[in-house]
Amino acid sequence: MKRSLLNVLALLVVLSLALAACGSPAPTEAPAAEAPAAAEPEAPAAEEAPAAAEKTAVVGFTASLTGKLNVESTRQNNGFNLWMEQVNAAGGIKLADGTMVKFASKFYDDESNKDRVQELYTKLVTEDNADFLISPYSSGLADASAVIAEQYGKIMVTTGAASDSTYQKGYTLVYQAYTPASAYLTGSADLLASLDANAKKIAIIHENDKFSTDVASALEAYALEKGYEIVLNEGYDSGTTDFAPIINKIPADVDAVMGGGHFADGQQFAKSLFDKGVKTKFISLLVAPPEPTFAEIGDAALGIVGPSQWEPLAAFTPDYGPTGAEFIEAYKAAYGEEPSYHAAGGYAAGLILQKGIETAGSLDAEAVKAALDGVDMMTFFGKIKFDTSAENHGLQIGHSMVYIQWQKDAGGALIKQVVWPAEGKTAESVYPIR
Amino acid sequence: MKQWLHPGFWVALLIVLALGLAPIFSQNAGLRETGFTILLAISMAISLNIIMGYTGYVSFGHVVFYGLGGYTGMYLMDTWGAPLPLAVLGGGAAAALLAFLLGKAILRLRGAYFALATIGVNEAVRTFVSNFKPFGGPTGIELQFSVYKQYGGAADALWLTYYGVVGIAVFALVFSYYIKTSKFGLGLMSIREDEDAAEVMGVVTPDTKTLAFVASAFLPGMLGVLFFFKNGNVEPSDAFRLGFSIESLVMIMLGGQGTLLGPVIGALGYQRLRGLLLTSDVMIGSLPLKDFQLVIAGLLMLIIILFIPAGLVGWLRQRFAWLRRILV
Repeated sequence: MKRSLLNVLALLVVLSLALAACGSPAPTEAPAAEAPAAAEPEAPAAEEAPAAAEKTAVVGFTASLTGKLNVESTRQNNGFNLWMEQVNAAGGIKLADGTMVKFASKFYDDESNKDRVQELYTKLVTEDNADFLISPYSSGLADASAVIAEQYGKIMVTTGAASDSTYQKGYTLVYQAYTPASAYLTGSADLLASLDANAKKIAIIHENDKFSTDVASALEAYALEKGYEIVLNEGYDSGTTDFAPIINKIPADVDAVMGGGHFADGQQFAKSLFDKGVKTKFISLLVAPPEPTFAEIGDAALGIVGPSQWEPLAAFTPDYGPTGAEFIEAYKAAYGEEPSYHAAGGYAAGLILQKGIETAGSLDAEAVKAALDGVDMMTFFGKIKFDTSAENHGLQIGHSMVYIQWQKDAGGALIKQVVWPAEGKTAESVYPIR
Repeated sequence: MKQWLHPGFWVALLIVLALGLAPIFSQNAGLRETGFTILLAISMAISLNIIMGYTGYVSFGHVVFYGLGGYTGMYLMDTWGAPLPLAVLGGGAAAALLAFLLGKAILRLRGAYFALATIGVNEAVRTFVSNFKPFGGPTGIELQFSVYKQYGGAADALWLTYYGVVGIAVFALVFSYYIKTSKFGLGLMSIREDEDAAEVMGVVTPDTKTLAFVASAFLPGMLGVLFFFKNGNVEPSDAFRLGFSIESLVMIMLGGQGTLLGPVIGALGYQRLRGLLLTSDVMIGSLPLKDFQLVIAGLLMLIIILFIPAGLVGWLRQRFAWLRRILV
């Protein structure tokens, strides 16, 4: 009895494995035969268009549905989907020949790691016939996918791929929606300069990973150029929870502490600075402060400044796309939560594609590339303009970070206020904080 | 000589060749990318099988050779402008050297202690590389897109890496079979069954184990270079991802450890299944199946470990006597 059950189960497993192993080449091969054919009709289809007058452009990407980047990636998807729904509901984008283009998205899970990124992007391009690509979340994954985008001549908009190095590798079709890592904390140095001309000593303490290290080295170079003195520049391992040994190295007469890394470590670091009673006039940390849950550390959060790609509070006056208020309202109606900057970034990626296609009047990658090279627009997300030099092609040079600070409202509750840049601020900075 | 005529060897070789050549004949890029993932996994599993299946030493840190090899190769290409084949060999050599040094020290440990030590080694090397400036520290090493030009552009470079991985997979299989049927391999298997008895019988266990470790480290070192060259960058978190080690272990368990064909079937089945689940359009009710891919992969794994612990090839060999002549 037991033995036969075992046999049946084993057979099932064997069968499923066999199916998995043998059954699949067929479906992958079938579209393969179509792929070259499908690539060609692209152009003729546009000529036939007056009859059809409507076509669908496919936007392909991978998202981190599982793994460590899940939260950011999901919000970004929501933002992008909102853009797609709105464009499609408005009837699509009109091309030069009168065809209306609507959008469909195709995406796979990249599990937050690089193993299958190139495989999935190749599939998106050759089998799903994606017309445009959006990058995976994070610089490492975006780099891997960019190789495929370039190879097949597809425009790729990157969101959440902040490292400058991605755009210095010689790609020509990759466009960045976010402010690059090199500019994440430089605004903090400017803000400090505007608050106190006598503050000169900065300690930089950052997570020892690619993104945070890029940010820290750019900050150091910028601060030195501005006449600051870097009294400490130290990295800590990802996952560090005990910051006491590093905090003990901070000189007593330090004016500002800057750095951080991601959410958990940044929050813990801010708390440790408070608990250890570090007397510093200014603290600016990466990534963690803009998150609403940062306030859970109570008084330790008070006065902490943090850069954000976008804040619902910051009121830009867009010359393209919806206003901030319209976006927030639509996002809340669709997903029932406040949009984070990842969500806004996803929507902005859609806007960039839309602008490129509208200006070019076609879906042709070369034409859209030419249009994107010339983009200089103000959206609810901020200004969008790309570097077009050979060394930094596609690097975002229009967009700048907004800096928030945790302050207390009249009732004594912690609230976020935008304190920099001066044009967008909603409150004066609290300074010195301790 | 006679062992090369064994049908079991040819069955395994034909499977690997069929897998490797299909994308080349169809010139289909989608198939090539899937093939790359599968052949990489197959080679990785075959190499791990040498130390785990033949010698009986479970290594959780096998990915350390993949990562260090990848880093060495990328360093050679980025800093010294080495051509890909040289970088691949350099990566393999660096991994082999590390295995040689490690083998002398940690192969004296047995069972769970060895397994734990391999995890420690992986973490230690990852932390070292994160702070090692010539390897770019935490930011890693990046190749300019123009690097691919010397291989005829990105498309040709991707094909080149694919030929590389096919070559390595075929070599890995032949190499693994050679070890399995050699006197050296017999020594390894006697260590697996009873290390003390093997020593009494005249096997110089420390040297034999170290050599097996070196043999199993060389292949991942070369694979790492191909993978990271193809992706254009390498970072500590990608290079030393413990999860990849564990996946390789699972592939071997699935196919049958200690057999020649087992790692091939296990890696093929595992990667194919994951790939299919990841990209399937099938819906369960209103939810897409691909959201559940990890659940399904996990369930399948549980069933296999519970009911056929010898792996697929091992089970078939136990169950059907006549298959023992065809499957090794």
